[in-house]
Amino acid sequence: MPARQLEAAVRREGGTSIIELRGEIDGLAEEAMNAAYAEAEEGDPQVILLNFAEVDYINSTGIALIVGLLAKARAARRRMLACGLSDHYVEIFDITRLSDFMNVFDDEASALEEAATA
Amino acid sequence: MSDPRPPTRPGGARSDRRILADFSLPSEPGNERAAMDRVGEAVRELDLEARVLKRLKTAVAEATMNAMEHGNDYRPEAPVVIRVLASPEDLSVLITDGGGDPVPAPGAEAPDLEAKLEGLQTPRGWGLFLIRNMVDEMNVTTDRSHHTVELVVRLKGGRDASETA
Repeated sequence: MPARQLEAAVRREGGTSIIELRGEIDGLAEEAMNAAYAEAEEGDPQVILLNFAEVDYINSTGIALIVGLLAKARAARRRMLACGLSDHYVEIFDITRLSDFMNVFDDEASALEEAATA
Repeated sequence: MSDPRPPTRPGGARSDRRILADFSLPSEPGNERAAMDRVGEAVRELDLEARVLKRLKTAVAEATMNAMEHGNDYRPEAPVVIRVLASPEDLSVLITDGGGDPVPAPGAEAPDLEAKLEGLQTPRGWGLFLIRNMVDEMNVTTDRSHHTVELVVRLKGGRDASETA
């Protein structure tokens, strides 16, 4: 299966910036992830939501990239949420304890509902 | 191109193990995906639970990345050799590189996520931790010129088997 290099698109819903991720989150994803995060921070959102619904592979380097984004969000006192992870990657978020610092939702609607009420 | 097959194989003395696959890949970025896909095909006949298969494939990809990066310095001419062996009791995937930086021993401690989030540690360093948590057993053997990581999934009575019983 050929690798699908990561594509990231940013849009806004109220006070939340949503980063839609498509493809694979590995070492090749760093530039796209960081550029999307910088764009997502424009407008000083309270919440940044990472939507993984179109992500089919995350490796340990990808986990490190996500940790890096979460660190930036926490330093700027923004909440970071995640949605759309497959069961396998929900387990990996639990094992790595990422889900202790980043609430994980089944889908974008659930995450946005939480973002709006918090 | 030298063949990094080790003179002895972890668990290789067991006569009840069948070889499901035996192949090598150049140490090039991205080949961990090929490794996990080929191992996935090799174990298809075992009809593993989907969750167990995904965990195994993640462990194979991570161990292959480590072998290519730390063992072979991403030299394409240095192959990573992968063997898949099965017995009625367990499945073993042996991933061997040409030796280089010592393979860290599989410890029990989780990476310190708080320290990483505070910028006190590099965000990296999840590979071995993921591997350990994706399979029932991980063994590392080293001789003068090879490192081999053995990933073991119990097919009967192991953690995954007991969870689905």
